[in-house]
Amino acid sequence: MKIIEIENLNHRFADGTLGLKNINLTIEEGTFVVIAGQNGSGKSTLLRHLNGLLLPTTGTVRVAGIPVPENLISVRQMVGMVFQDADSQIVGETVSDDVAFGPENLCLDREEVNRRVARALDLVNLLDLKNQKPHLLSGGEKRRLAIAGILAMEPKVLVFDEPFSSLDFPGVKQVLKQINSLHQAGHTILVAAHDLEKVIAHADRLVIMNHGKLVKDGLPDQLFGELEAFGIRQPCAYRLGGEVQSWLN
Amino acid sequence: MAELTVFGFRQGTSFLHQLDVRFKLIFLVLISLASLKAQVAGLSLLTLILVVALIHVRVSLGSILRDLRYASILLIFIFVARALSTSGSAFVEFKIISVSREGLYEGALVCWRLVIVIITGLAFVLTTRSSEIKAAVAWILRPFPFVPAKRIATMMSLIVRFMPVIFQQAKETLDAQRARGVENRKNPVYRLVKLGIPILRRTFERADKLALAMEARCYSENRTDPRLSSEIKDWIALFVVVFLCSITII
Repeated sequence: MKIIEIENLNHRFADGTLGLKNINLTIEEGTFVVIAGQNGSGKSTLLRHLNGLLLPTTGTVRVAGIPVPENLISVRQMVGMVFQDADSQIVGETVSDDVAFGPENLCLDREEVNRRVARALDLVNLLDLKNQKPHLLSGGEKRRLAIAGILAMEPKVLVFDEPFSSLDFPGVKQVLKQINSLHQAGHTILVAAHDLEKVIAHADRLVIMNHGKLVKDGLPDQLFGELEAFGIRQPCAYRLGGEVQSWLN
Repeated sequence: MAELTVFGFRQGTSFLHQLDVRFKLIFLVLISLASLKAQVAGLSLLTLILVVALIHVRVSLGSILRDLRYASILLIFIFVARALSTSGSAFVEFKIISVSREGLYEGALVCWRLVIVIITGLAFVLTTRSSEIKAAVAWILRPFPFVPAKRIATMMSLIVRFMPVIFQQAKETLDAQRARGVENRKNPVYRLVKLGIPILRRTFERADKLALAMEARCYSENRTDPRLSSEIKDWIALFVVVFLCSITII
């Protein structure tokens, strides 16, 4: 089933700059897609169209067949987004308050909110820290909290914007393990990254963006040779002639 | 890890944490009003109660004093203004400037009252989630027609929630400027401008990012609010606070 369908998408910013140029992209349910590109290539702009944080200037974006501007609440529930800066998306005073924020916005009854909070925290292994202040968590824990906040809304698609930025090695492993297990559980995963090293071993598909255009789309192995032409570093193992390994091994 | 200021909710099981937020709002108003009328004896009693309350919620008095040091500038300004503008028997005279004994007394009293209002607010914020504040303000404003109760409540809860974040940013910006020797500049206006502009810019940028993240999680004014329910202990506490406030103004 096609979960995301983007046709002839163009986005022009208020200052007149064209952020996205004629993007056409279809994503099947349950796939793991990495969207790569250098800074300013349009990755984040594209991702923000998937849950209606930005709306197309021209073109259409559909999630599970629903045009995004027609039912924003339903689309935002289906497409959960984890932002690059975990700190700026924490709104609760405690870990469990923060996870409850999304379900509360959906006006679910208190019992259902509590059930979803407990389940989401359990999934990301933060149940023991439920009464902790979010700002006292480590980088990896904050990122997992942001994931829990999204999981509590029970989305089908999970979108990660540069999920490994400013994380140390244990933090990267925690988040990568989480993303991988969500993919195994059947979620569609989209990860925007400028550095493929940490994530590409898990991806089914690689999409390359450059100057607001979708320039390459295919299997990761087949595109490694072309990465550096678009300002993206090739994975080390590929450069050395070996096979790309998961950071979880 | 982030260093936190005292301005923000702290999870706990103290008596103040357990009270119904609507009652706590009423206590905040009553104690603030009583402190405006109280004299030295009444203010001493209120101060004692507040210090005990803060110890009970397990917050360090030292950290409060440290975080309130910037408020002391305002207090000094008020004290000096009162001391110079109140007539009475002269304590110090220098050319046309005269500081009266009554002025010093009045200035000290006004500052003391303000400190009590600040500390009462702090005790409230420390023991109450911003979502509870929102629910309580919406409940209190509900009977008033033409008042957008939910919107006002939402704005209040967001202000309370993000006060610590703004303080944290101010602290970080100040530290970054200290690292580049801002203390060598003696002009306070220069330092204030150089500190104020980046803090404002960062606060607005942070607010933008936060608004986006909230929107992505379907934020709206109509949401599942915390349950508000009063118990016998809330009514007992109300009786005690009304009694104490009455004593302080007699």
